[in-house]
Amino acid sequence: MLDVQDLAAGYQGNDVVHDISFHVDEGEAVMIIGSNGAGKTTLFRAMCGLSQLSAGVVMFDGDEVTGEPAQRLVRRGLGFVPAERHLFPRMTVQDNLSLGAYPKRPDPETSSVVFDLFPRLSERRNQHAGTLSGGEQQMLAVGRALMSRPRLLVLDEPTTGLAPKLAHEAYEALAVLRRQGLTLLVAEQQVPLAMAFTDRGYVLENGVISLEGTSKELAADPRVRSAYLGVT
Amino acid sequence: MTATAIVLDGIVLGLRFGLLAAGLTLVYGLGGVLNLAYGQMAVISAMVTLFSIDAGVPILAAVAIGLLAGGLLGLIFDLTILRPIYRRQGEARVLLSLLLTLGVAFIVDGFLTWRYPFEGLRLQIGGGPIDVLGVPMPRGSIVGAIVILVIFGLLLAFLRATSLGRAVRSVIEDEEGARLVGVDPSLMLRIILVLSGVLAAIVAMTQSMLRPVNVTAGFEITVLALIVTVVGGLGSVTGAFLAGLILGVISTVATSQIGTFLSLIILLVAAAITILIRPSGLLGVKE
Amino acid sequence: MTERFAEATGTSLVGGTEEHAARSLLALFLPVLAAGAALALVPIWISDSRVLMAVAILGLALASYAIGFNLIFGSTGQLFLCVGALAGIGGYGAAIFADTVGLPIVVSVLLATLASSLTGGLLSWVAVRRSLGVIFTGIVTLIFALSFQNLVLGLGDLTGGESGFLIESGSESFISQRVPAYYLMLGLGLVFLLVHGLLRRSHIGWAFRALRDDEVAAELSGVDVTRYRVYAALVGSAMLGMTGALYGLAQGRVSPTTYGFAEVDVTVLVMLAFGGIGSLFGPILGAATFTVINEFLVDFGHLRLVPYGALIIVLFLWIPRGVIPTVGDYLKRRRRSP
Repeated sequence: MLDVQDLAAGYQGNDVVHDISFHVDEGEAVMIIGSNGAGKTTLFRAMCGLSQLSAGVVMFDGDEVTGEPAQRLVRRGLGFVPAERHLFPRMTVQDNLSLGAYPKRPDPETSSVVFDLFPRLSERRNQHAGTLSGGEQQMLAVGRALMSRPRLLVLDEPTTGLAPKLAHEAYEALAVLRRQGLTLLVAEQQVPLAMAFTDRGYVLENGVISLEGTSKELAADPRVRSAYLGVT
Repeated sequence: MTATAIVLDGIVLGLRFGLLAAGLTLVYGLGGVLNLAYGQMAVISAMVTLFSIDAGVPILAAVAIGLLAGGLLGLIFDLTILRPIYRRQGEARVLLSLLLTLGVAFIVDGFLTWRYPFEGLRLQIGGGPIDVLGVPMPRGSIVGAIVILVIFGLLLAFLRATSLGRAVRSVIEDEEGARLVGVDPSLMLRIILVLSGVLAAIVAMTQSMLRPVNVTAGFEITVLALIVTVVGGLGSVTGAFLAGLILGVISTVATSQIGTFLSLIILLVAAAITILIRPSGLLGVKE
Repeated sequence: MTERFAEATGTSLVGGTEEHAARSLLALFLPVLAAGAALALVPIWISDSRVLMAVAILGLALASYAIGFNLIFGSTGQLFLCVGALAGIGGYGAAIFADTVGLPIVVSVLLATLASSLTGGLLSWVAVRRSLGVIFTGIVTLIFALSFQNLVLGLGDLTGGESGFLIESGSESFISQRVPAYYLMLGLGLVFLLVHGLLRRSHIGWAFRALRDDEVAAELSGVDVTRYRVYAALVGSAMLGMTGALYGLAQGRVSPTTYGFAEVDVTVLVMLAFGGIGSLFGPILGAATFTVINEFLVDFGHLRLVPYGALIIVLFLWIPRGVIPTVGDYLKRRRRSP
């Protein structure tokens, strides 16, 4: 479904990531793990049309979408929840969600799916998004992305700032969505959680992909274990 | 003049201030563009209406043509002078937009003042004064005020209750967030620029119901719009409305007490104080 | 990195290149003296014409204004859109001190200069303390400029209002005669040029450049941003005030249009944008060019704004750093690749 080849991206001529190639097949859940500063955010932002990439090709559903801006990728079915969330703080939860469906009218069926998934959002429907707690804002960000009924959902560190219980809940919600046919690509620092939940993964180190494999393989790999799982 | 009369005049003036600022503030809040040729847009629309009337077009149609001209100017701006501005971001964009629109303002002002130094649009509203709270208000005042209130209502309804309006607000709230939900910020900016042109035209028309609007008014209109925008907060229509009313009343009260020049200073100082104490204005987006 | 940062914050739009800050005193003095000598010859041709001499004197005044503004904006990035107003404090101040209060001319001029200088310094201090960026500094100073203009118009009893203030002091002395006035203004401009040049060479100039290009880095390197910004504003505003005062006395009359925003600020901006903001001789090139152009266009009246407007657009789109730095860069590149 998503095919990235030799992607490079960075700031003002200096590439933060380069020679990035990976793919996500339909129905899969894939993770990209790496420590802070490895380049996960740069990669995702470039791939999902929020910033420019300096090299490479991105294919989505067989079409080349390299360099297309985020607003067009959404209409193709690629939803992105960035690390900074970018909610609309002075608009209500309901308005934020409705905008998620733009330009279409919010579909009542999708709305109810989102509210079932995140009951707390339903309670806070008319509150301004800026007044929500960190966890609720994360839920809203995911919920908003879901309103456009994406086929692939890309999430950049969805559990940042969430208490462990909430992080678990978040991934459980994503698991439910998987069962309903959503394909997922997740960048994570909280590696164990991601591993339990995904099929395959890539390790991003110093701007390049250093390892790849199924999540089980990666979980067993000694380098990964020492670097990311705190096992000496 | 009685106190009530002064305050009522201030409110009518304030409504014009507010609508004027609404156009400027939306463009700045959404696109980071400071349009210093805004007053010229109003003036050109007024001239278009004037020439239409002179050519025999019935008044209402002429006004409609003027409004269309305003919107068209906004579109032309977007397609021409603003293209190079969009290539920059943040402060560089504001600075360049300020300079380029200033250049445009000079070109328009220079030509129009030289070519039509004495022409002014004056829409006479027939009929005698209307009594409001015991004060005889010129009919043009009341008509203008009602028009502006209606337009404000429509504007707020558009922004709050329509899908497109919410999309516009989303860009003002968080441009990247807007893109993430499928909103195209450039398209929204184009729509808002057309809208700001129409709003400027409406203010020119309503002002001409009280006294002639002529080509030399361009810069004065821009400065007033800027003052109200700064006080109301960048990007907030409700802020523009509130600031407009407050400053309108302050202006008429000050003029009646200390004269026109010094009352303008008070407005200017109000804007300066806002920048120094609360740069985000009354209701603006806090950076 | 500095260039790109400056680009990102917009200051490179108007920041100049000062790599050519003169290494030796001679490299500074020679061009200034040459320019001075060249300009000193001008009255030979035009001293018979009252009109042309007035134009030339105005041109010199504008050049001095531009030098002062260059010091404030070009060197430290503070967008002071109140050049006319600061000069006006000098002009009206001197007029009021000399005529109304009755102080001797020299004292009046010095007091007026001090008033301008302190006002500019205050504006700068407030802007730094409130962390106003370029845009808001511009807006606040614009507000000051418009307020000043309206104040002059409003306090008619003190200032003569719209019709202006006829200055009697000094109308008997040399300053009101064309040729001496010309040389006085020329001398003033040359002194300012030297002051600016010397400042640039000094550690103060280094501090200016540092804080203009990257305020955060400058602060970290120990540059007291507030202090240097205010220094630049104090000196630059003093230049503006003194020029305004002497020009007013030379004319024998000051009015709101002598120091208006459209008449002074806009002209100075265009001159400097053309000549090169931040470059030492930018003001001279700009002033000379536009004084000449303006003379040819004077018959067109208000229509003159049209080419000015077009020029602003062209300049800031394609030659944002002005003629002198752009030409300088071009020559440098040619020297590098033979």
